[in-house]
Amino acid sequence: MKILFLLIPLGLSLFSFALWAFFWAVRRGQFDDLEAPAVQILLDDDRRPTRDERGGPDA
Amino acid sequence: MVVSTPPACFHCGGPVPRDSPCAVRVAGVSRPVCCSGCEAAVHLVLAQGLERYYEFRSGSGALPPRPGRDWSSFDREASLRRFTHLRTDGERELSLQVDGLHCAACGWLIENSLRRLSGISAVHVSAGTGRAELRYQPGRVALSRVLERIDALGFQPHPLSFSSSGPDGAAERRDALKRLAVAGFGMMEVMTYSVALYAGAMQGIAPDIEQLLRFVSLVVATPVALYSARPFYDGAWRALRARTLGMDVPVALSIGSAYLWSVVAVLRGSGAVYFDSVVMFTFFLGLGRFAEMTLRHRAGLQQDAFARMLPDSVLRIVGEGAERVLPEELVAGDRVRVLAGERIAADGEVLTGATEVDESLLTGESAPQVRGPHDALIAGSLNLSGVVEMRVLRVGQDSTLAAISRLLEHARASRPRFVALSDRAASWFIGAVLVFAAAVGLHWLHTDPARAFPCVLAVLVVTCPCALSLAAPAALASATTRLARAGLLVTGGRALERLARADRIVFDKTGTLTRGRPRLQSVRALSARADPERCRAIAAALERHSEHPLARAFALIAPAPGLRQVQLAVGRGLAGELDGVRYRLGRSDFVHEFCHDAAASRLPGMERGRSDCVEILLGDEQGPLAQFLLSDSLREDAPDTLAALGMLGVTPVIASGDVPGIVTLVARRLGVREAHAALRPADKVALVRTLQAAGHGVAMVGDGINDAPVLAAADVSIAIGSGTELAKVSAELILPGEALAPLIDGVETARRMRRIIRQNLAWAILYNATAVPIAAAGWLSPWMAAAGMSLSSLLVVINAMRLLGDGATRTPSLGLGAAPVQAARA
Repeated sequence: MKILFLLIPLGLSLFSFALWAFFWAVRRGQFDDLEAPAVQILLDDDRRPTRDERGGPDA
Repeated sequence: MVVSTPPACFHCGGPVPRDSPCAVRVAGVSRPVCCSGCEAAVHLVLAQGLERYYEFRSGSGALPPRPGRDWSSFDREASLRRFTHLRTDGERELSLQVDGLHCAACGWLIENSLRRLSGISAVHVSAGTGRAELRYQPGRVALSRVLERIDALGFQPHPLSFSSSGPDGAAERRDALKRLAVAGFGMMEVMTYSVALYAGAMQGIAPDIEQLLRFVSLVVATPVALYSARPFYDGAWRALRARTLGMDVPVALSIGSAYLWSVVAVLRGSGAVYFDSVVMFTFFLGLGRFAEMTLRHRAGLQQDAFARMLPDSVLRIVGEGAERVLPEELVAGDRVRVLAGERIAADGEVLTGATEVDESLLTGESAPQVRGPHDALIAGSLNLSGVVEMRVLRVGQDSTLAAISRLLEHARASRPRFVALSDRAASWFIGAVLVFAAAVGLHWLHTDPARAFPCVLAVLVVTCPCALSLAAPAALASATTRLARAGLLVTGGRALERLARADRIVFDKTGTLTRGRPRLQSVRALSARADPERCRAIAAALERHSEHPLARAFALIAPAPGLRQVQLAVGRGLAGELDGVRYRLGRSDFVHEFCHDAAASRLPGMERGRSDCVEILLGDEQGPLAQFLLSDSLREDAPDTLAALGMLGVTPVIASGDVPGIVTLVARRLGVREAHAALRPADKVALVRTLQAAGHGVAMVGDGINDAPVLAAADVSIAIGSGTELAKVSAELILPGEALAPLIDGVETARRMRRIIRQNLAWAILYNATAVPIAAAGWLSPWMAAAGMSLSSLLVVINAMRLLGDGATRTPSLGLGAAPVQAARA
């Protein structure tokens, strides 16, 4: 069972990484609007790229 | 002659006049639209290649645009300073609240349409909250142009003062999400280690591995106990400082002490650890709080609703000329010109001119009031017909609007006994738990000091375990989800419990039981020369030039073309010329005096004005042509809803600011026995207080600003969605649509929820009653407590989930196959 001394710290680092990634996503506003993006993927029309399409934070 | 159910407007979803000349071709199919405003909006959408909006939006559409609104005051320096923030790179940013925004597709439409303007650097619209964040280059595009574009699409933009927009819930939400994530991840980790430790306790475990697992649990539980559980400590501290015992007190006490005890146990290398209880407790409670917060944010409550009752700009008279200024720039003594259709910005008196004003939102009086020189005008009321010059007497905090706002605050602060009672009961319970825990501790200190703390902790954990604290929130979350599907939004946590108790439901009349909009009931020809259809068309053409509420009854009729020389007679009617004939439309004396033949004009076929109807005549120089009867129609589902509520034992009561005749008539038609008329806002509050004093649980349904104080005073407040922002701010339940019927489901669900909460509490108490003595006696080993706690919580949650059942599970349909427009509007 000595392998636990390696595996558990490994698990802990994964845990910290997951938390860091989640915090990063929250900070970037990924969780602010959980409804629009699901529809936006259907809506974004690929026919006519327009000027000024530099986009907002969600583009 | 009643207009049959008309087709829905392609853009706004409103009814379309039968013979509307307006129609649009979308994807080769001709679609009806209700007015030229909507027609223009559709063309704007199509011209930008954004027609897929119509495919993906859910429910009915935007608001019908009001053409010709002047946004130029937003380009003034004072406006820019107030609403925008100048960034260091020379761009300006601002936040807007957008009315009419109800689905993700609407947000997409606004975003994409604005991006097609040059000079817009960034735009983000959040459909959930109705907020738009915007960054633009002042040199390349004017703010007024941006607002105009949003307006033209059929949405109402309201720029938010840069200072007041503040934290809009996004920050709070992010914070809560992070805390919840830490607790959730932490729970997964710690539970894994705990299972290993329990297994070890039964089967034996190597001491070094056990120490490792305990130490790792400590590492993971630390951020949970210190970061995720922080709101509970804050809440407990606030409660203690206010000298009360809130639910947060034992929660904070158990989490804090369990954590500290376990830390000591790990460091000493002996003794039980309770990290699993700490993280699970924190996570489940956090989850409940998060759900509640989401509901609160979703309701999109606007605190500056009062400010929005005022116009965005006013025309101040300076010397010979006039300038557009912000209402804030006004001071007492200023002279202001108010055009027809504008809101009045400050309390004052009329100097010259005469007009009719709609004060219904402030006083509940539905009929327009005629105002001439020296008459008083109230800030927030709507100028309907004439142009007046007024002198400003009171602004800002001194105005009537601000006084109502203070009345609201007062009513809200003194919410009635039921809340206080349940809070007091909770305080007693918590106090009892704390005393019992202390007694157990004292007992063990005398007999076996080493076991004192584990036992006290066991008592604390066991008496306030997930089951007990989840009993209500889990049922509440299920009930709110179910009701949201049924069309009733719950924003206040305790509102449903009180709705279950309510046995009186007080309705405002105008805008609540009725639509708040007049409808054409009948047209009667008064002369052989008159053709009713033609008369309708002429009347509609004339009424197009009026902002009067009655004019809206004619909005569904296609106007006769070619009308010229329209003149407005304040409080009396309209005159105009069509094909060489001069017509008058309005009150009967106004029309009669036109044809100089009052005696002969009363024809036998003419129906006498009924008490619930308003009579309007159309006439030419030879005599009256037609009589129109208008009345405010009841909501279609009002009779059935009130009858069903009566069956459920919730007696409807009508409290209206309107005149007694109309109120009695409506009450009779709805079968309501108790109806009060001519009530001012303060009278309505008094009525609710009287009912409460008689021991009734009172629910209040209202819509107007004048209802805000009484909504705050009632046990449960319900606002109807077509009402004002302000009513929604003070309401705990919101009917977002036009229908009243969800109230029935609301009452039923609230009662089922109460039943389920009772079952849950009974179970939790049974569990506690058996577990507490065992815990106090010191026979409860950690794994037993944890297993018991988890099982009992699971049972409670599953029981609560039953509330979700038997309602059709419908996910918001935005799919490709969805009907393009007008999916759900009964």
